[in-house]
Amino acid sequence: MTTPIVATKPQHSSPPALGPERPVAWPKRTVRTLANGMQVVLVEARTFPKISAQLFFRSGNASVAHTTPGLAEMTASVARTGTATRPLRRIEEDLRRMGADLAAVAGADSSAIGISGVAEFSEGLLEMLADLARNASFPEEEFERERRQRIEGLRIQRTTPDFLATERLRRVLFGKHPYAIVAPKEEQVAAYRRNQLEEFYRQNYAPANALLILVGDFSSEPMLAQVEKIFGAWKAPAPAQQKSPGPPRHSGRQVHLVHLPGSVQTQVLVGNLAITRGDPDWYRLVLANSIYGGAFHSRLVMNIREQKGYTYSPRSGISALREFGYFTVHAAVRNEVTAATLTEMFYEMDRIRSLPVTAQELESARSYLSGVFSLGVATQEGALSQLSTVYLDRLPEDYLETYRARIHALTAEDILAAARRHFDSANEQIVLVGDRAQISEQAALFGPITQYDAQGNRV
Amino acid sequence: MKKLHIPVEHTKLANGLRVVVSPDHSAPFVTVGVYYQIGFRLEPRGRSGFAHLFEHMMFQGSENAGKMEHIRLINASGGLLNGTTNYDITNYFESVPSNALERMLWLEADRMRSLKVDDENLRNQRDVVKEEVRVNVMNQPYGGFPWLDLPPVAFRNWPNAHNFYGDFNDLDAATLDDVQAFFRTYYSPNNAVLLMLGDLEPSEAFTFAKRYFDDIPAHALPPHADVSEPPQTEERRGEVEEKFGTLPALAIGYTVPPRTAKDWYAMAILDRVLHGGRAGRIHRQLVFEKQIAIGTEGGVDVFDANGPTQMVTQIYHRPEFTSDATIAAYDEVIREVQEKEISEDELAPVKVKFRADYYSMLEGGMGSHMPRFGLMHYLACFTLFDGDPDRINTVLDGFMAVTPAEVQAAAKKYLVPRNRAIVARRPVNAGEAR
Repeated sequence: MTTPIVATKPQHSSPPALGPERPVAWPKRTVRTLANGMQVVLVEARTFPKISAQLFFRSGNASVAHTTPGLAEMTASVARTGTATRPLRRIEEDLRRMGADLAAVAGADSSAIGISGVAEFSEGLLEMLADLARNASFPEEEFERERRQRIEGLRIQRTTPDFLATERLRRVLFGKHPYAIVAPKEEQVAAYRRNQLEEFYRQNYAPANALLILVGDFSSEPMLAQVEKIFGAWKAPAPAQQKSPGPPRHSGRQVHLVHLPGSVQTQVLVGNLAITRGDPDWYRLVLANSIYGGAFHSRLVMNIREQKGYTYSPRSGISALREFGYFTVHAAVRNEVTAATLTEMFYEMDRIRSLPVTAQELESARSYLSGVFSLGVATQEGALSQLSTVYLDRLPEDYLETYRARIHALTAEDILAAARRHFDSANEQIVLVGDRAQISEQAALFGPITQYDAQGNRV
Repeated sequence: MKKLHIPVEHTKLANGLRVVVSPDHSAPFVTVGVYYQIGFRLEPRGRSGFAHLFEHMMFQGSENAGKMEHIRLINASGGLLNGTTNYDITNYFESVPSNALERMLWLEADRMRSLKVDDENLRNQRDVVKEEVRVNVMNQPYGGFPWLDLPPVAFRNWPNAHNFYGDFNDLDAATLDDVQAFFRTYYSPNNAVLLMLGDLEPSEAFTFAKRYFDDIPAHALPPHADVSEPPQTEERRGEVEEKFGTLPALAIGYTVPPRTAKDWYAMAILDRVLHGGRAGRIHRQLVFEKQIAIGTEGGVDVFDANGPTQMVTQIYHRPEFTSDATIAAYDEVIREVQEKEISEDELAPVKVKFRADYYSMLEGGMGSHMPRFGLMHYLACFTLFDGDPDRINTVLDGFMAVTPAEVQAAAKKYLVPRNRAIVARRPVNAGEAR
């Protein structure tokens, strides 16, 4: 160990230039709508002998938020526990026989059954998907077990700072709109009745409400024929669409403090309503967010992590739900620097609203978004996720193909304009989850405080 | 059954750096990784958490790429990056559009050659790491369960048994001299493997590797540390207070045979019979049938360990069942697999699922933003621990050949009380939210 370890040669002193960018071949896809209204998207991805399928229904927890919050999620969990011909154990063993994983979930806007397994079993995998989507039997015993598990899961969620922060921010931002509710209360889960699950299933798990995306090691033509054979005879009407009250407008910064006794950190979550993917400003906002706090090399991460060491993983982001989108900034910080963190978050927000970004920042951020977007095509899971964005949000067919060019065309002025419009610094809603004895004095510097306990009650 | 064949080429530079390449032109990206054969098992005594803190320091600057330059250059090339610290390896990796391959090699070579950091960098990253520990362990329900809870109960040899995230006192004690000494001791080309996967030509990749890494001097590595455990003679138990979560939880760990053992394959299959998701025996019996547990999970990653390792079951159970009653129900599952050979009807699907999981790991393994992470990870483990990257294409055969009798034999040999440790997490607020 006596050799000097620094042996730099001149050729090593600066990074080599990038080679010419190679074209991205976006997956060729076959898009059909079956006679029963089910939309089908097939994509060949043949590197690994696998197949990934996702069957979406365009109805989720938002559609039941005012009557039975969380019912879509519970319906999905129980739907996978039994069908007319397969009891729970048989379902799980059939899946294993095909090397498959299955997930049945519901978000605000959709419910989905996803399955991925070995390609040689694709027919059986699709039959399983169809069986769960059409013939779920909602066994009483499994319903009660899932209900108990859900209640225990909710209790644990209520001890998790990032859940509590998100729950509070959504309440504040969305008011009477269904997006305000991210999880049911225990007593609401306890009040679910089995026939409510069946009814949600009957109304919403319908081909005219469905989107099936298949990515994997197959040939599209025979696969399409197989999909027709398995799903073609399924007939059911689409559910009626609902109207919801709009979210409130906020004037001035307000602090919403969720008291978590004994907390050794403060979860900081700041947010405002923004836009959805269909908005003409979408790309500008994505780029502005990436420079502000959406990437590792962003200004916010540089500032409060790499210079000040307040936090491990600060980030900003834009959440786009079907009807509305919102912008958030979050960081988990030690209690003493709660106010200092907010100060820096607002400083960076005001700075990007005041001055154009530098040419180097612009170039880096455009390359970053363009490159990272293209990574998505390299796995079945990634391709499926990108395609679901396009087809669930009903974006233009050429969204994937044109995304990179649209990002590269943006300017510093675009970013300035988007930041001014959508980073609503003066009216940000500030959620702090932590021990109030440690942080309420700091919190008061940023606006009037409303306090809650972990159950969501005002205190 | 379609057999997957991964193209693999490899070489070794004069300084001992192993280079492994796997071309795949299905998408225009490359994943590049450098794996060093040093993990938290071998961090210095009195410096718990140091290997992980050191990993953070590797992003703080090297001779020609100052603080944040690594991250900025990778992001600005259109890529994502990360590093992780494990028991026996520390890795640094990035996925980028394939036109950035050469630039990634320049960066990785620069920090293998030289680590240029100062006290301020160290203070800064010590603060960041403390917040990482707070957010992941101290301020989360079941934080650190079971990965930080079990080793001190299960093992007796300090390398296997200490707090890998680090006591704050030890983190505070770390100095810049420690950082440079650790770098000089372990971060040598002859203790590492460079991996390049994806949209590349192997000959060009090897040329780049030589261009940037060839002149990094090798140095003698310390003698191989003894990480073996003294023989265990009885079951070990421990308890940890759960500050936030409302359900009592158990972690049950059995030490598995080393990767060189003949029954390594059978043990991995046995693990999938027991765990293996919702079809596995433990979840089926404890959650679905007896409904003692609200959730179970578990397993063992046999590929990436090179020292004492456990198959761990986590059980979150209903408070109305005692931990003894829960363990008794668990033991019944274990007894069944010891007393009765499993049927071919059960074993065959377990193997299909094993194969499927292997494919999924190779394709992704760390989310879709890091394509082929798993392929890189397994290639690195096969290279560093077994000296054989081509094992990526043959290792499945060993698992597929396991017989019911071998599974039963492994259960009898390893799933015994004197080979296990149990840690209970006891909630302060059982049954109610805080």
